[in-house]
This record gives sequence, structure tokens and C-alpha cells, in this order.
Amino acid sequence: MNDIETRYLLVGFSVAGWWCARTIRERDRKGKIVAITKENGIYSPPLFTYYLGNRVSDIRYRPEWIENLDLDLIYGGEAKTLEKENNRLILSSGESFVFEKALIATGGLPVAPPLPGKELEGVFTFTTPRDMQKVSEFMKHHRVERVTILGGGFIGLKTAEAFIELGVKVTLVELANRLLQNMLDEKSSYYLESALNRAGVEVIKEDTIVEFQGQGGKLTDAILKSGEHLPSDLAVIAIGVRPNIDWLRGSGIEINRGIIVDEFQQSQRPDIFAAGDIAETKNLITGERNVVAIWPEAVKQGKVAGENMTGSRVSYPGSLPVNTVSVGEVALISAGLVNPPLGDFELLTEVTNDSYRKLVLKDGYLVGMILVNKIEKAGIYINLIRQKVKVDDFKDRLLKEDFGMISLPAEYRKHLVEGASIEV
Amino acid sequence: MKKIHIHEEYCIGCRLCEINCLVKHSRSGKIVKAFRGEEPRPLPRVRVEEEGYLSFALQCRHCDEALCLENCPTGAMYRDEETQAVLCDENKCVGCWMCIMSCPLGVIKREEKTKKVASKCDLCRGETPVCVKNCPNEALTYE
Repeated sequence: MNDIETRYLLVGFSVAGWWCARTIRERDRKGKIVAITKENGIYSPPLFTYYLGNRVSDIRYRPEWIENLDLDLIYGGEAKTLEKENNRLILSSGESFVFEKALIATGGLPVAPPLPGKELEGVFTFTTPRDMQKVSEFMKHHRVERVTILGGGFIGLKTAEAFIELGVKVTLVELANRLLQNMLDEKSSYYLESALNRAGVEVIKEDTIVEFQGQGGKLTDAILKSGEHLPSDLAVIAIGVRPNIDWLRGSGIEINRGIIVDEFQQSQRPDIFAAGDIAETKNLITGERNVVAIWPEAVKQGKVAGENMTGSRVSYPGSLPVNTVSVGEVALISAGLVNPPLGDFELLTEVTNDSYRKLVLKDGYLVGMILVNKIEKAGIYINLIRQKVKVDDFKDRLLKEDFGMISLPAEYRKHLVEGASIEV
Repeated sequence: MKKIHIHEEYCIGCRLCEINCLVKHSRSGKIVKAFRGEEPRPLPRVRVEEEGYLSFALQCRHCDEALCLENCPTGAMYRDEETQAVLCDENKCVGCWMCIMSCPLGVIKREEKTKKVASKCDLCRGETPVCVKNCPNEALTYE
């Protein structure tokens, strides 16, 4: 088969690829862009659980803009081989592409432990549109009253949120001693757990599912390590995702947990960039290398990659984990370092009956935060973390009710507001 | 594109901008009803910040690189082609609060019950914004 030649090749086309394409198009109106996705459309993954919970009926991502991007889109294309010596990518279908610059943004795959019985009808993972369709179909054809979710992390919680909206009885099983242990501290996960309990969810901690049992090929029970049987009509395995990197072995691209990229989102093959859930970047605060698989970082990395693929030299400042979850009337937002190790950290906290706020400072800088219910100033705090603004001089005002832009140093405040051509 | 300019040295902290904004974005458009008769109670989309002698009114800057828009997974946040304002299509909003998490000025508020973005400046959809029109001391201008 003949090669298809392109200036830009985007392998994987979700949010990182999309913002990369948009950035390239702003800077290079003519250069050919080929984008390959294994899906049959361009989707917004966070919407899958909202679709399940009947909050949205369309899971496509900004379909109204796609034409403006002038892309050659290839649906249902699965990347198979990236040649080590050449800028050539081959799909499972045999189609091949020769590129000048490529972005690898093939995202993540669900972690699925080898649990006996996981092939039973009614046991799912929940990370792709296909998963979502399968769960929806299953819900249409079976009576689903009891759902068991394995994993009290982000995907597990979002899945629980959807089933709560459907009025289904949910049991959440988490191996750790609290929920969302990476994004919350003990106190805030307590607020979350109480909200789940009020919504009728049973939370089982320090336990896990060791087996699924069924009848006639269909799930009936989830068996816990403790021996307990949880009667279940449907189960979701949501213990995490890992970067989809296996197909890149032998491509000469350096891989650790994800594709190792520098601050330009460039792999050590200079024509090949990576962004989103597959890219291993430096943490903005700790400097540790990690994959931070969240939407805002995928957008930023995609944009940085796009600029650099068109010849600029723009750097990505580092990843900042930020997350938001709502259950019932409890809303939580967290960012950065929320469980600091022992050492020179200063904690500012405020607790009321229905709210909790914690700010983590180091050497006069904000490095982490957790907000429960009083979330409206989240963006201000997160910006102070990202921009590394020294807060030492006004730290006693950070948790005041009237904290706002007015509390920031005048110079910085004016700079922020002027950013969009405003004079203060 | 026209923008709202903030002149803090002229702001007297009277909050007429907040009141006019709230009424403009209420269902009735009437001040008494807007304050007493509407549930959920409409919120002003401009915020007066005050500390000692200093005050100013702040609303969405409709940033060129709008993080609320970039981080909105539903596509509810969009840029109006005519006014270049960043607007929120409530029909698409699912209340995930990614925009609240993203806004460096903290000018987006939420409607807790309906789980929708409740308060986000829309530049009065092309008219001269009422916060500007009703500012008695030209602390807000639109140009």
C-alpha cells in the first residue's frame, strides 16, 4: 500500500489532539493535518458518565468547530507500528503514513486485573464510548437495581455519580482506607463519604473484589476479599487507567510510565511529540516525573505541542493535578499537593458544619488546596499555585470571606486583569 | 472588540452595577421581583470588591485564552462570534465546575440546585452592559 504523506500526523484524537490541531491551524493554515482516532467519532470522555446519568444526550466534543480545523480525519484507525528509523506510522489496517511532525496522544487504557468472572455479562470497565454504549444497552435490556463499583478513585466516583442520578442502589468498594486518596485528605474524603451515604451509596473500604460469580453467564454477585457476597446486577471495574504505550515498544521512543517528554512536549525523537494521558511530564510542584491524566493538562500539553510542531519553542510549565467532583449537594475541588509529607509545610484550614477549606503553603508559596462546598474561589487559588505567586504577605487573608482579587498585590492584580487588554 | 474597562480610582463602591446586573439577568426584569420573588434568586455577574478606601467592580474579562472555555468538557462555554464574549450555553452545562476551577479571577458562580453555571458575564449580549451604563462615576467604561 502506498504511504499517505502529511506534514502533521496526530495519532489519537481526543482532547489533547484536538487542541493540538487547533493550535497548528492557527499558525499554519495550509499544512496538511491527518488525525487518526480508533473511535468512530470525536468524543469528550468526561461526558460518558454524564450520558449514562442522562445529563447529556450528545457525547461529541465541539462538533461545530471540527470543519474549521480542515483535517483529514481517519476514524476506526488503530496505530500498530511506529518505525524506528523512519517517520512512518502503520495502522492495523495496513494503511501507512509518512509525516514531518507527529503527535502521539493515544491516551490510556483501563487497568483490568485478572479477576475470575470478569468476562460475565454485566461486568464492565468504563473509559470508552464503546463501554458506555455497552452499559447503556445492558441497562435497557436488564433490570438493574444494584450496582457495584470497584475503585473509589476519580472514575469510580464519576460512575457512582451517574448511577445515583438513575436512582440505582450503588455499592462502592475501595481498597484504601478512604476515597480519592490522591486528591483528598482524610477530612475531605469524610465529607465525600457522608454525601455518598446520604445519596444512598454504601461505601466499603479496606476491602476489594476477588471474584465475580454468575448464573447462565450473567453476573449475580461480587465476592469480596473479606468473604462478603454483594448481590449485583451490574459491576464496573474502575481502578484506574494506564498509558496506552505497548504499541510503541521498538519505536525508539523512550518510555517509562508514559512517553518521556521534555518541557516542549517533545520525545527524544525530535519530530515526535506526545500529550495528554500518555505523556509523562514533570510535576509543577514536586518536579517528579509522572503521568497526570486530566483534561486541563491535556489541553495545555496539546497546545504546547502544537506550537512547537509548527516551529516555535514554547515550554510547558509542568503538570498540576486538579480535580473536581460533586455528589448530591457536596462539591469538592482539589489541586496540587494536598497531603504534604512531614516537613516545612504550613497549613491554613477552616472548618464549618458544611464546608472545609485547606490551603498548603511552602516557603511562602501556595502549593496545594482542598475546597469542600465553598469552591468559588478555586480558580484564584489554583492560579496562584500555577503562577508561583508569593502569598506570604497576604496569607492571613487567603481564607477570609471577602478574599478576592483585591487581596492580591496591586501590581499582580493589574497584570492579571490587563491580560485581556484592560486598564485598572 | 469592545471591552469593559475598570477604573478603580473612580469606583465609589456603591454597587449599583451589581444591582443593575442582577435585575437585567432576572426573569422579570423588575427590581422588587428580582430580589424577592424569584427562585433561584438571580445573582449579579459583576462583583464589587472592597477593602478600606479601595474598591472596584470586576466581571469576566472574556480572556483571549479563556481557560474556562478550554477546560469545559461539554462545549457549553463558547465564544460568541459577533461580540467575542465567552458565553455559557446552559442547556449544555452539566455543572462539573471545571470552569470555576479554571477561572483565575474567580468570577464564575454556580447554581447549586440546578447544577448549572449561574453567573457569568455575557456582556449584556451586545448592548452596552448595564453595569457600565449605570455606573455613576465612570468607574466602568465600555470601549
